[in-house]
Amino acid sequence: METVIAVENVATVLGGHEIHRGLDLHVTRGEVVALIGGSGTGKSVLLREIIGLLRPQSGRIMLFGQSVWDVAPEQMNALRRRFGVLFQDGALFSSLSVEDNVAAPLFEHTALPRATCRRLARLKLALAGLPADVARKRPSELSGGMRKRVALARALALDPELLFLDEPTSGLDPISGRAFDHLIRLLADSLGLTVFLITHDLDTLFSIIDRVIVLSAGRVLGSGTVDELKNIDDPWLRDYFAARASGRESAHGN
Amino acid sequence: MSEARAHFDEAGGALIASGAWHADSAKALPARHGKAVHVLDGAGITALDTNGAWLLLDAAGVHEGVEPPELRGFAPQHRALMELVARHVGRTGALPPPRREGVIEITGRGAMAMGGHVVGLLDFVGHLTFELAALIGRPGQWRWREFGAQVRDVFVGAIPIVIGMMFLLGVVFAYLLGDQAVRYGANIFVVDGLLLAMLREVSPVIVAVLVAGRTGAAITAQIGTMKVNEEIDAIATLGLSPLAVLVIPRIVALLVALPLLVFIGDIAGMAGGMLVAKEQLDLSYRMFTDRMLDVIQLKTLLVGLGKAPVFAVFIAMIACRMGLTVSRDARSVGEHTTSTVVQSLVAIIILNAAFAVAFVKLGI
Repeated sequence: METVIAVENVATVLGGHEIHRGLDLHVTRGEVVALIGGSGTGKSVLLREIIGLLRPQSGRIMLFGQSVWDVAPEQMNALRRRFGVLFQDGALFSSLSVEDNVAAPLFEHTALPRATCRRLARLKLALAGLPADVARKRPSELSGGMRKRVALARALALDPELLFLDEPTSGLDPISGRAFDHLIRLLADSLGLTVFLITHDLDTLFSIIDRVIVLSAGRVLGSGTVDELKNIDDPWLRDYFAARASGRESAHGN
Repeated sequence: MSEARAHFDEAGGALIASGAWHADSAKALPARHGKAVHVLDGAGITALDTNGAWLLLDAAGVHEGVEPPELRGFAPQHRALMELVARHVGRTGALPPPRREGVIEITGRGAMAMGGHVVGLLDFVGHLTFELAALIGRPGQWRWREFGAQVRDVFVGAIPIVIGMMFLLGVVFAYLLGDQAVRYGANIFVVDGLLLAMLREVSPVIVAVLVAGRTGAAITAQIGTMKVNEEIDAIATLGLSPLAVLVIPRIVALLVALPLLVFIGDIAGMAGGMLVAKEQLDLSYRMFTDRMLDVIQLKTLLVGLGKAPVFAVFIAMIACRMGLTVSRDARSVGEHTTSTVVQSLVAIIILNAAFAVAFVKLGI
């Protein structure tokens, strides 16, 4: 299978702190991969490095076989069209309508007439499971869960092959969170997307993820299905999975 | 990746597409001269995404209320994608573009908003009056610290720019007056004219405009951002009144600071005039000050200083009200801050005109 994301021997130092020391990971086409790790293990930093917002001190990051930090700016722009990013709080433009938020990448990157861009934007909103009446609303009129769906629709606007999600279910209630998980999986399967997401949400891991990558102490501690990870002897991982088990029991206790 | 191609087979009513279809493939779509498409043939398609699928379906006329075309020859994953998109095309029909408001509509809306602001300000005065009465009942709620910080920001921070602006305006006024006066040998009367203009009109209005732009905007932005961060709600939840904690100290601070700033502006304006009088009109500093003390009337000074508190109350009330009515997004803070400055300037000009008429009628 083709490797979509390759991170090789990456080292990062931020503000005198060593964040990553010789980090390696690979994601192949069609996988839905989750990146987990304790607070401060550099998950979001790694995401920013992969999408070209932050330069690592050393090492190589490849997207679709091209090195993110060595290609010419116009090649990087072509590369940017091939992936979509969902930021943690949605990062919708508050001065644009929902429809124009989703159409914005199409306005900028395609030669289509603006009316067609808006119609395609409404297709993405429908795919993201949003009702028809949101299109002409402002982001400030929507609930948190709907804003996340709009942000997902915007990330999908240019039909990327690769989707980055930064904590997609944070700030959502458990029901909306599960619905969002299933939407991601549905879109990944039907559109053939590769998905790379950062999460703290154990339910996400257990429901829609093909493979989990664990970051610890600046390296990849392990990678595999949830069951394979349970065999790794690591105090943080043990506490992490124990949190779910105890949460379940107390829920039954009530 | 192969280029997207498509041609329309009129005999069979078939749209035959091949190559890679995505958002930029629209230019490959053939004209079909109003003929119906019954079959969509995708046997030659090598790559397809949702944008490409939608363009093909749109070209096949799915938005025109005809039977959806038969899909023929698509690879299984492309067929699944076509079907997924086809399920949602009901939502993607052509809509009129988002309506833009015309000049008349914008004007009307602006007029309505202006009326709303007048009503809102009256309402706000009512609330403030009750709050002020309550505050007199329990003076413990009066915020000395907040008041002190506001006076420092509004008064001390504005002194340099007030001196600078009024000094330069004094220079300009004296120069223009002197230019006329010197033809009639009336050099000394420049002092009279300058004194009257500065003390009575220029200094109060210019300093008020300056404070509206500087402090009024700051108050709206600050209270508005607090509103966005739910700080106003937090104050109310603590059992405190946002009006007593935030608004009244700001109004009183401006009430104290603006007359003081106007007085400083008076002095700076006369000093600017004095400099020009010496250079252009050969009036020594001594002659200038003697003449100034001869003709100055307490009335002139008080008329100017008396307008300042009225301007101050209006600026502060408008700024605080606009801050408290911000809705919870970034855009609204900007709009309300702009509105504060505009409303304050309009209020200053109207009040000043009203004062002028009233003073004439009263014979002051």
